Amino acid sequence: MLELDNLHVRYTPTKKLLSPAAKPVKALNGVSFSLGPGQTMGLVGESGSGKSTLAKAILKLTDVHSGAINFEGQDVTQLNRKDSLSFRKNVQGVLQDPYSSLNPLHDVGVIVGDPITRHLGIKRRDTRNQRVRELLTLVGLSADFLERKPHQLSGGQRQRVSIARALAVEPKLLIADEATSALDVSIQSQIINLLKKIQQEKQLALLFIAHDLEVVKHIATDVGVMYLGYLVELGKTETLYSEPTHPYTKMLLASIPVPNPKQQEKRKALRQSFINAEPPSPSNLPMGCPFANRCPVAMDICKKEMPDPTVTANGFSRCHLHTSGPKLDGETVVDFIKKQAHT
Amino acid sequence: MAKYITFRFLSLLPLLFAVSVVSFSLAVIGEKVNGSIAVQKCAEDTSPTCVATIEKNLGIDKPLRHRFVSWFSDALQGDLGISNQTNGPVSELLLEGFWPTFSIVGLSLVLGVSLGIAVGIFSGTKPGGARDTVTSVLSTSFLATPSYVIGIFLSFLIATKLGWVNPTRYTPTEDGYFEWFKSIILPAASLALPTMAIIQRQLRSSMASALQSRYVLAARARGVSRNALVAKHALPNAMIPTLTVIGIRVAASIGITLVVERVFGLNGLGVILSDAVTNNDIPVIQGAMLLVATLVLLVNLLIDIAYGFLNPKVRLENG
Amino acid sequence: MQSFIRKPLAVASSIWIFLLLVAFVRPSILATHATTFSDTTFAFDKPSSQHFFGRGQVGEDLYSFAVYGGQNAVRSILIAVGIGALVGVPLGLISAWAGGRIDRATMWLVDLLFSIPVIMLAIAIVAILGSGITSAMVGIGFAMITRFARITRAAALAEKEELYIDAAKITGLSSFTTMRRYIFPNLIPTLVVQVAILSSIVILIGTGLSAIGVGAERDDADWGAMILRASENSLSEGYWLFFPACLPLLLTIVSLNLLGDALRDSYVPSGSVTSLTSTRRTAKTTTADLDVIDRAALFSVASLSVEFPTAKKQSPKKVLHDITFSVKKGEVLGVVGESGSGKSITMLASAGLLPAPGQITQGSTYFDGRDLTTATEKQWQKIRGNDIGYIFQEPIASLNPALTVGNQLIEPLLVHTDLTKKEARAKAEELLAEVRIPDPASRMKQYPHEFSGGMAQRVGIAMALACEPKLLIADEPTTALDVTVQGQILDLLSDIQTRRDMAIIFVTHDLGVIAEIADQVIVMYAGQVVEQASAENIFSSPTHPYTQALLATMPQNHSGDVDKPLTVIEGTVPSQTSIDAGCQFAPRCTYVQEQCTVTLPTLTLVGGSTVACLRAEELQSEVVNLTVSSTEKVTQ
Repeated sequence: MLELDNLHVRYTPTKKLLSPAAKPVKALNGVSFSLGPGQTMGLVGESGSGKSTLAKAILKLTDVHSGAINFEGQDVTQLNRKDSLSFRKNVQGVLQDPYSSLNPLHDVGVIVGDPITRHLGIKRRDTRNQRVRELLTLVGLSADFLERKPHQLSGGQRQRVSIARALAVEPKLLIADEATSALDVSIQSQIINLLKKIQQEKQLALLFIAHDLEVVKHIATDVGVMYLGYLVELGKTETLYSEPTHPYTKMLLASIPVPNPKQQEKRKALRQSFINAEPPSPSNLPMGCPFANRCPVAMDICKKEMPDPTVTANGFSRCHLHTSGPKLDGETVVDFIKKQAHT
Repeated sequence: MAKYITFRFLSLLPLLFAVSVVSFSLAVIGEKVNGSIAVQKCAEDTSPTCVATIEKNLGIDKPLRHRFVSWFSDALQGDLGISNQTNGPVSELLLEGFWPTFSIVGLSLVLGVSLGIAVGIFSGTKPGGARDTVTSVLSTSFLATPSYVIGIFLSFLIATKLGWVNPTRYTPTEDGYFEWFKSIILPAASLALPTMAIIQRQLRSSMASALQSRYVLAARARGVSRNALVAKHALPNAMIPTLTVIGIRVAASIGITLVVERVFGLNGLGVILSDAVTNNDIPVIQGAMLLVATLVLLVNLLIDIAYGFLNPKVRLENG
Repeated sequence: MQSFIRKPLAVASSIWIFLLLVAFVRPSILATHATTFSDTTFAFDKPSSQHFFGRGQVGEDLYSFAVYGGQNAVRSILIAVGIGALVGVPLGLISAWAGGRIDRATMWLVDLLFSIPVIMLAIAIVAILGSGITSAMVGIGFAMITRFARITRAAALAEKEELYIDAAKITGLSSFTTMRRYIFPNLIPTLVVQVAILSSIVILIGTGLSAIGVGAERDDADWGAMILRASENSLSEGYWLFFPACLPLLLTIVSLNLLGDALRDSYVPSGSVTSLTSTRRTAKTTTADLDVIDRAALFSVASLSVEFPTAKKQSPKKVLHDITFSVKKGEVLGVVGESGSGKSITMLASAGLLPAPGQITQGSTYFDGRDLTTATEKQWQKIRGNDIGYIFQEPIASLNPALTVGNQLIEPLLVHTDLTKKEARAKAEELLAEVRIPDPASRMKQYPHEFSGGMAQRVGIAMALACEPKLLIADEPTTALDVTVQGQILDLLSDIQTRRDMAIIFVTHDLGVIAEIADQVIVMYAGQVVEQASAENIFSSPTHPYTQALLATMPQNHSGDVDKPLTVIEGTVPSQTSIDAGCQFAPRCTYVQEQCTVTLPTLTLVGGSTVACLRAEELQSEVVNLTVSSTEKVTQ
């Protein structure tokens, strides 16, 4: 249903008169993946990994430098006005900050009702409000929220309203960009459960973007890991968490603290095996793999060449350990190590 | 920093050129509305040659493009044309009025800005306190009183009632600095009081918010003393928005002094300009506009440079 | 709106503006004479009962002239502000919306016109169009375009950054609709305030122009023209002649300004301005019960309660209630709680940094054998940064953007030690190296915005450690950082902690971080400590229902099938501490009983933990299984 093909997004700083052109910030570098109907894909990465840019690109909120975003066979980047509208009906988003994603002047009835009028042509107030009430019940809010203004709501309630707004036009694809990051842990799980429930009931395709791997684990069937604009690993959730193939994924997993002192001690030791270095700037990416300077198993080739996505048992990985590049005894490094372990 | 200053300076050039285009087009629009100066001068002389002769003498019979080029190249050399009214060079007339006006504005800014900053710090470090309330009331009243009304009051109180200083005309510095100062202090003070109020208000609020910032809290947590918090940590940051306000106030001061001079009967640009309006003396207005706009642009340049000093982000990104 | 009416000055201003509007629509209601009324024999008569403001040059009634002058004033505002707003606002909106080249070109032109003072521009337009108040106002209106365009653009740009504009785009609203229905309505408050303020400027300048004979005709009923006539005669007839014009002029300008301020305040409720004043203790502040104080500890806080006064004479907002905790030498105390639990305020108040207008109503602080309960700001200055280091949540915002990092780093050394500036610099470089910042010498010369969040936090740590404190208070030092950077900062802190045998109070919302770093833990909820125990106990046998629920709700602790919903704590965190209606967690608690809603539990020792729960003993002995609530209830 959704297919990204070698997507690049660049932010060019406004050129100032008489000053040398600043280097463009490479926010997305050749991202490709596909998402089927009813599937939930999680996307994780740290700040600057380009995951929010990806959401913006799919939601047509930012310009694409090159590559294609195909939704139901149509390239989203090339849509005309009319198709653009039907695309908007099919693809909806829930954005990060619950405090700024609702217009402070509108009440919940208008916030959720607006897209109904726009896409479903329902203009009559009572019919529209009836629909809004149904949506509010669906997201776990009582119908009397209809007349409340955003400032009367808590963070969790606002995020529920955002979800109701996104569901109002019965989309096929929902993009949740850090939809739970600003919430407290006790509220966060409420929203996760809600999203999961709705996704299953409506058979939505869901792209769930977050920096917290633990959260993603509980909602996504597939997970993509992003680093500095590259999609470095993609795979089925269970396998990706138990057997990560990219060193960066390993590092991320090792960095999440567990609320158990004994287990955490082990994790800490694992975490400390990675190199303590600053990631390169997205406006000045190195020639090779951007993770090379933090990677404990970096090889010479990693500093020279960015590896292509290579198919792994679980999905794909962009790491020289998996490319056909360096060979050990006629085999890829990973296969070699595996075989060594077995014998 | 040098690169930043050069950059700011160079970006001034297109603006100056555009200002001259605006000034030049004044004359053209004036001609379109009121007829050329030749037509006006020949209002009684009905002979067909009259208009043509004067137009040819003044060079205004040529196409616009040529007229602009010659006007512009003259202006670059300081020749702003001939006044319709006095028939003397505009530049000499303007220069005569420039020094009084410049002195008044300059003195008013020195007084207003320094007092404004002092009072702003004074009230901003303890918002809500008694001294803050007093200064707030004072500055609100100065803010709302037009400089020329303050001028009227000062000339009544200081000049007429008390007779301390009684400026009737501008005394150049060659006649002694004290005499010069006495001749402009009242109009300068009239301008300076609102300036002070505006700067005080801005600095007070930006000071109060700087003092509430995380970095001041962090500095307090390092044991930095109160005075150092205000002077070293809060002030440089609070000055950044204040500078913008100062820049706007400079432009406004240059405008308002034209009115204030009139109240004190000082022979500055204000008198020259209002006479020029009455006599429809477009070249003088044209020249004055160029002069004043250039002055404002230069001041803005200085403000920008100061801005770069205070705000490392601006400086480092542009140079 | 209510706050507006409560301001007497705003009401007075509105009345004056109303009178002005009456003078505009029907001046004859207010005036006593016609403007044509004259009698030269009574020229310059002083004010009398017939002629309130006296009489002018040709014996005209100056009071009536002032009234008719009001008509002129309103007309001036309508013309100039009308032109300015009608052209400037759309221009600013388009410029902000279009961005790119259109924006730059428009703003360049606007800035160009902005560099010509309003009065100069008006004089030029009068010279072209001929004198008269209308052409002067067209000139001023022209200048007002630039003001309106700049303000509208700036406000619209800020609005455009808001996420709900993105949300509107996602719902498929067209650019025009987004601008009309989303951006513009949000700009109206700003614009209304600007109309009031710019109106006062228009009056100020318009009257000034007329006063030098460039605006209204000399004999017009216009305040400026009246000033002009007065100035011609004031020397011979006295300065009172200025009064009839200056009084309404001043009242109008003051009213417009006050109205602008009042409108701004009614739109944007300005929070009470806090100041540098140190932690305030009220007269009724009580010190804690001496028994609670742990004198063996390095740092101990007993029975701390904090209130914030509310504006509307309601009872003050209680933020902290009866907080007691202590930390021993070389020990790491973890403080955990969700947002609104009061954990940051606790730390600020304990270190004498409580922001005004917060008030400590009760409590004592002991540090290193000293009673700091009544310490003055001066005494605190000697302790903070020296014996107690402090690091904050937002590492970049905690550094002064205008000063180099080195300049700030040497500060605690210069304040608390006898080092010279040069020695302090050398020591600062060592510190940067200690917190593992590469190339310290050149980093010293850089500004905070050149640092990443993780690097800035290292600077924060270096600064806090500069004087080798005995205690480090770390308030959510890793919350704003990426998870891999968080790991590095934790490693750094625990490394330094063991090397220096320093005590740390580590505040966080993440129990995982607590598990790694803390020896002792306190759990906070709604301004109270609900459980205190060793880290071991907290994780192996959490006793308070909130601690249990918090652990259960973490995705990491989700047990069993991934398809099973996550454990949730129903409801929301209360926004205010209320100690009158029993246990504050009761509305969300699975073990709630009737007595819980009546009696406020106090901290009691149960097994190895100190717990504030009426049912603590039952809960601990029974080892109650965590109930997993899978149903989504309607949240209130």
